Amino acid sequence: MTHSRSPLAKIGKGLQILLLLAYAVFALFPLLWMFIMSIKPDSQMLTTTFIFTPTLENYATVLHSDYMQFFLNNLIVSVAAVLLSLVVGVPAAYALARFQFKGKEDIAFTILSFRFAPEILVILPLYLIYQRLGLYDTYFGLIWVYQLITLPLLIWILRGFFEDISPDIEAAAQLDGYSWWQVFLRVLLPLVKPGLVAAGLLCFIFAWNSFTFPLLLSNNVQTSTVIALRYLASDTVHYGQVAAAAAISALPEVILALLIQKHLVRGLSFGAVKG
Amino acid sequence: MASIQLSGLTKFYGKRRGVEDVSLEVGDQEFLTVFGPAGAGKTTTLNLIAGIVTPDRGSIRIGQKTVDALEPADRNVAMVFESYALYPQFTVYQNMAFPLRSPKHRLPATEVEQRVRHFATMLKIDHLLDRQIQALSNGQRQRTALGRALVRRPDVFLMDEPLSHLDAKLRHSMRAELKEMRSQLGTTTIYVTHDYLEAMSLGDRVAIINQGRILQVGTPEEVYFRPATVEVAQLFGDPEINLIEAKIRNRQSTSVRVQALGEEWSFPITPEIGSALDKLTGDNVRLGFRPADVTVGANGNSSLHGVVYSFEPLGTKSVLTIESVAGQRVRALVDGHRTFQVDRRIEFSVASSSLIFFDPESTRYLIRSIRTEGDD
Repeated sequence: MTHSRSPLAKIGKGLQILLLLAYAVFALFPLLWMFIMSIKPDSQMLTTTFIFTPTLENYATVLHSDYMQFFLNNLIVSVAAVLLSLVVGVPAAYALARFQFKGKEDIAFTILSFRFAPEILVILPLYLIYQRLGLYDTYFGLIWVYQLITLPLLIWILRGFFEDISPDIEAAAQLDGYSWWQVFLRVLLPLVKPGLVAAGLLCFIFAWNSFTFPLLLSNNVQTSTVIALRYLASDTVHYGQVAAAAAISALPEVILALLIQKHLVRGLSFGAVKG
Repeated sequence: MASIQLSGLTKFYGKRRGVEDVSLEVGDQEFLTVFGPAGAGKTTTLNLIAGIVTPDRGSIRIGQKTVDALEPADRNVAMVFESYALYPQFTVYQNMAFPLRSPKHRLPATEVEQRVRHFATMLKIDHLLDRQIQALSNGQRQRTALGRALVRRPDVFLMDEPLSHLDAKLRHSMRAELKEMRSQLGTTTIYVTHDYLEAMSLGDRVAIINQGRILQVGTPEEVYFRPATVEVAQLFGDPEINLIEAKIRNRQSTSVRVQALGEEWSFPITPEIGSALDKLTGDNVRLGFRPADVTVGANGNSSLHGVVYSFEPLGTKSVLTIESVAGQRVRALVDGHRTFQVDRRIEFSVASSSLIFFDPESTRYLIRSIRTEGDD
């Protein structure tokens, strides 16, 4: 693009920036609204929009309650669910990408189809099974059921990444004197890293935000998403506290996304490993 | 340094034939080129030797060792892939050093450094060692891939069309460099190519493979001048050899009169050709002659007639396609400074000393009209 831009192109470029800006505001507004609500006193919640006396009261209430225990619970089950998905999903994605076997596409589709079913549709049988197996109200029970959410996502994203790596590269590394495991760890994993990071983060977000499963499959081992409900009391709704709880809950996702931004962009624009 | 022996190698991919019953011996320090069209089974053969693919049947020996049960890493074989298969996350240096840092071939860091630099200098990529693979041109990638294979000093080199993705000029100069390099290294090499010039210029011997079967193994001269079958003759050489059906009208001890290309003409023969023709069951014979052996212009009573069908100037040479009286087309290679109008009537003749005779039934080689060097 060495030629000088025409006025029309300049206007187009300006319009593009304007549209993107509008979208950014649109996308970020809920976050901003949540933050504003969280620092409003309950009395001014419905009477004012942007003019109010800011207060940290809501945060204090939330932090002094046992909310943080449930926050920790959510962290435990979400992180564990993602780790389990990685351990199971990476080999599965590799196998689906590399090997030819009977029913391969059917298996891949079945895995994906777990994402189609609304959670509310399967929750009743799951509830009964969990009661019988003693998985109800346990960490492991939640971690396991979260695989329905995280595993299909991880497998399908990583499968594309593995398919992008030429089998020749694997063969070359083996001829260079490495065993299959060493090839996998030293050559393949670094190549799928952007996908791993992106898929891992998405899985974490979905697991973290999960509501139906912990609501119905757990009681004492509860996650912050469900517990935030209790600020909707029967007498009144503590919007400020709900907003504060939500703001605290959103923090891990925001921090994670900011930390791995670079990988995220590469990972979501597929084909990043092509040489 | 080792010889290679393949016996009865067979590999099917489902119903599709990769290779079937491939038996081949490659001597110690020999440079064998494997030539064939796309999908002939060349790459499968290399993958079988490297251990990347497991054969359905057959056995492979490298040196004194049967390697059938060995993993690729244990065969001490280095391969240059058609796709280069470089590690995109590494620099040129890291790519070349990768084999020397493996558990199998580990060397002290100083020696790794020295070897990588030595071969990088030899391949003229020493100034690129810190570059990422993505930042390299195709030619530089090819050299890096070659370098990664060379640093190892393996028993056997396998090269899978390493030059096919290079532009014509670079390919030509790399061919010369490879030829130079092979004399320095003296490692047993199997080199796969679909370019018959590469196969001829590089190989001590050439193996012709098509549809998973080996058709002929011989020196470049043998394969070019005495192709074992019509198929080999067609595959090897560009422009393709002319093949015509001829009916023998009248045969004397020193000459033969044939009906071919819609005309009757005669050419001299030797007693050897005579006895070879005796073996034929009918009086048909298939004649092959290279486009370079066709002369355009009147040539007494051995002249044939036709019209110019197409004319492609290629610089020093031009390819002329002539439609004969019978309608069959004959390719001729003519001097680059001559031009021909399409549809012009011309006379041409075939050098009687360059005819190759094939049995029309079995399509096998019978004899050729002059004795070439190395003929027995």
